[in-house]
Amino acid sequence: MEFILPLLGRFHPLFVHLPIGILLFGILLVFIPSKTNATFLPSIRIAFLVGFIVGLMSAISGFLQYQQEGYTWDTVQIHLILGWITVIFSLGLYFQFRKAQELTQPLKIQSGLIFLFITLTGHFGGNITHGEDYFLEVLPPGLLATFGIETQTVAQFTLDENSWEEALFYDGAIQPILNYNCSSCHNPRNLKGELDLSTIKGLMKGGENGEILKVGNLKESALYARLILPHEDEEHMPPAEKRQPRKEEVELIKIWIETGASVDKTLAQATVKRTSVQAFFRKEENPFFPITDLKPVSSDTLSILRGKGFFVEQISADNSLLRISCLNFPAFSEKDWKSLKEISEHITYLDLSDTKAPESIIDSISGLTHLTTLKLNGIEIEGKGLAKLKDSKNLKLLYLNSTALTLENLTQLDGHPSLEKVYIFKTPASGQEKRDFSFHLETGDFLLPKLASDTIVY
Amino acid sequence: MNQLERLLKEFGEQKLQNRTRRHFLMDCVSKVGGLAMAPLLFACDPVVRAQSQALNLSGRDLNPLAPLPPPFAPKAKSIIYLHMAGAPSQLELFDYKPELLKYDGKPCPESLLEGRQFAFIRGVPNLLGPQAKFAQHGESGAWVSDYLPHFSSVVDEVAFLKAVHTDQFNHGPAQLFMQTGSPRLGRPSIGSWVTYGLGTENQNLPGFVVLTSGGKTPDAGKSVWGSGFLPSVYQGVQCRSKGDPVLYLKDPDGMTRDMKKSVIEAINSTNEESFKDFGDPEILARINQYEMAYRMQIEVPEVMNINDEPKAIHELYGTNPGEESFANNCLLARKLVEKGVRFVQLYDWGWDTHGTSKEESIDLGLRNKCREIDRPITALLLDLKQRGLLEETLVVWGGEFGRTPMQENREGKEQGFKGRDHHGEAFTMWMAGGGIKKGASYGLTDEFGFSGIDERVSVHDIHASILHLMGFNHEKFTYDFQGRPFRLTDVEGELIHSILA
Ligand code: HEC
Repeated sequence: MEFILPLLGRFHPLFVHLPIGILLFGILLVFIPSKTNATFLPSIRIAFLVGFIVGLMSAISGFLQYQQEGYTWDTVQIHLILGWITVIFSLGLYFQFRKAQELTQPLKIQSGLIFLFITLTGHFGGNITHGEDYFLEVLPPGLLATFGIETQTVAQFTLDENSWEEALFYDGAIQPILNYNCSSCHNPRNLKGELDLSTIKGLMKGGENGEILKVGNLKESALYARLILPHEDEEHMPPAEKRQPRKEEVELIKIWIETGASVDKTLAQATVKRTSVQAFFRKEENPFFPITDLKPVSSDTLSILRGKGFFVEQISADNSLLRISCLNFPAFSEKDWKSLKEISEHITYLDLSDTKAPESIIDSISGLTHLTTLKLNGIEIEGKGLAKLKDSKNLKLLYLNSTALTLENLTQLDGHPSLEKVYIFKTPASGQEKRDFSFHLETGDFLLPKLASDTIVY
Repeated sequence: MNQLERLLKEFGEQKLQNRTRRHFLMDCVSKVGGLAMAPLLFACDPVVRAQSQALNLSGRDLNPLAPLPPPFAPKAKSIIYLHMAGAPSQLELFDYKPELLKYDGKPCPESLLEGRQFAFIRGVPNLLGPQAKFAQHGESGAWVSDYLPHFSSVVDEVAFLKAVHTDQFNHGPAQLFMQTGSPRLGRPSIGSWVTYGLGTENQNLPGFVVLTSGGKTPDAGKSVWGSGFLPSVYQGVQCRSKGDPVLYLKDPDGMTRDMKKSVIEAINSTNEESFKDFGDPEILARINQYEMAYRMQIEVPEVMNINDEPKAIHELYGTNPGEESFANNCLLARKLVEKGVRFVQLYDWGWDTHGTSKEESIDLGLRNKCREIDRPITALLLDLKQRGLLEETLVVWGGEFGRTPMQENREGKEQGFKGRDHHGEAFTMWMAGGGIKKGASYGLTDEFGFSGIDERVSVHDIHASILHLMGFNHEKFTYDFQGRPFRLTDVEGELIHSILA
């Protein structure tokens, strides 16, 4: 008959709703205005008596659950104490209502108090089952930030490309993977499957079905075996509707188990190959388009520019910098630059190819702080003032195809702090002898050899 | 009464009808009810309506092809998708399997056949060794066969996917799956999704252009570039390299450009009139489309004309103006992308090498097909590169599935020529350009090239990655249809991180 107590314990989530409902009903009657101030007294008495009885049942089943199901005192402490206070308090109030002839001020105050206790008990109970951030989780991060609440998110696991070999296999890789993917359900407070994956101790201890790790044996290691079950399998971990670990993460867990599940070896000592971990290397946070805090340009301004003939669009919905092109505006000339001035800070991609842009346009462009890509294909310039482009400290790609430029012009750009590539296909420069610059020069003029096989018909 | 008079009469009656009391009582019952609800339903709020009448409409209301920014910064702004319809043999081109050569002519092990269905293979077929000679190329050491001598020289620009799999083994469904994410009809193609998401950059050209070669269009028909449940403006516009670039775009004889202009002006002014009456943005969209068609009449023939390209370029691509060829289409693809077209889809037909005839044989016909694409594809990559367009253009190459390591034995009989059957379990595709890791190779197949044993990628994974490069999260890029949001990748798809730069 050992099962009786745990079974009773499991009724706790059912019972708890009864005192909440019944006591609240009683409290409601206390505060409903009535003619004689005593109209509802009999009903209030019954409400508080029944409320007390079901409250007691809840408290007892709750205690059983705490005893039987591996909750720690730390987790249940407040909920448990508040619960018992509510129960005893409701009994006390019941006796007072029995004696009372009418609803007095002290009775009302006490009813208000018990309302507070019920709410708090319920809230802390909810925290245990649903997690403390149950409500916060669904709120937008922006809102949380305005209230000064920090949403603590476990970071995805990364490794340093240069020193990954020295990282400990368990502490430096496996644990972070588990923290990111599993710990939300398998931690000391939320022991799903009675399994704690937030420490190596918990992992070694296993869950309700015993050990989850058998060194060198993947099939018997639930830690891995459950991850590779088909998604629709009930035992698949994490549950199918939750975020799934990356393939590479599962793979690394596999390697860890295969290579002896060591706790003190480094990745190198466990002979992990670079290919197995390269997916985790921190990507250099160096996006092509700069991140700024510029406000988006108003849609009115954009419409005006579009009306003039420009193609104007934000780089992306989350980046207010603009891509501008004169694809449908071949008549663009010096005077049209004026209309771009107002938004010059926002320009990050500028295509003036095949327009009537004059030499002096370079002067204007050199002031564009966020410019990354500049296309001046096919415009008539001599390239005397190219050096000014050194002021565009974000410029990475420069297109000068089909212009009259020579390598002499381009030497002005040598040493540009950010320039990566310059395209000079179909210019006098592409025929000149190659020189080394701080940027890559693409001269083009590719040819494909004539091969015998080009003409053989089988 | 001639056509025009009838139309005018109809128009007049319609206008009158909007004023009569009988019409009001008959037709507007529901609308009177609706009027009462107006303050509740905020969309019908008269204030909101008044605003939209004051032309405070989003660009998309007026022009469904108006450009929109993607959710996050894209790596590529255009795509050229080269689809080899019929499915090229990975075993003759990229997936080098020396072990298969040793078993050439031996019966296929039962374990590979058990529980599997093939399109034509029956009973126990023999294995067929690779017919091509392979070598490693470039710094990346990619294996490419002597069927593609030119392409071998640019492998360092490319990232290979060597264990792609699909669950379709018939051309039609497999092509649909590859292009729309579903083997059944009715879903929008990748190009439609992209144009829907981003609009067109060049106001005078469609956002999604389709070019075909090889004498036939794909088996699945035009649905492979259809817009499915998306509005039909997002479907691919088929252009031709021979004859009129777009059918019915040219004015009929006797219609001058000026006449056309005045016709369109007349239509548009009537349309503007009805817009003033009804305030329906659909009418504005209509006006816009007339204007766009008018502009396209000039611009399309211009970009579709390759005669004026310099000789060196013609030599590079191996183009012959005036014919319908894959080479011409490759050159056109570059021109279109250069002009701001979002998505250029090429289909080349004739890759279905079953071995039933010389043209369909692995050792003869396939070589001819390879010769037709080898130089153009290589030229395309180099030409995009020298113009700097490869920085912002994604190039995708592949078929709808791969081919079996076994020789086809249609109806259990040996074929006159060497051929391979349809095979979806493992085949090769490649991508190059914006956001792709140069010289990468992802995916491993078993020693016969039958199944992927590691780093397999699905069609959805490829779609997810393509959308990612264009600045979309494939899980969030949806369109509501029949009561639920739809995605290109349905409920699957993972980014192929290993080939992303
Ligand atoms: C959304 C919550 C959730 C997440 C996230 C989650 N699990 Fe679980 N896990 C459960 C639940 C619930 C059970 C118990 C039910 C069962 O056995 O399937 C469980 C049971 C298990 C068990 C079996 C324990 C035993 O002895 O029966 C293992 C092993 C396990 N999880 C591993 C993992 C791993 C590894 C991860 C991370 C990759 C993970 N889980 C992530 C909810 C979760």
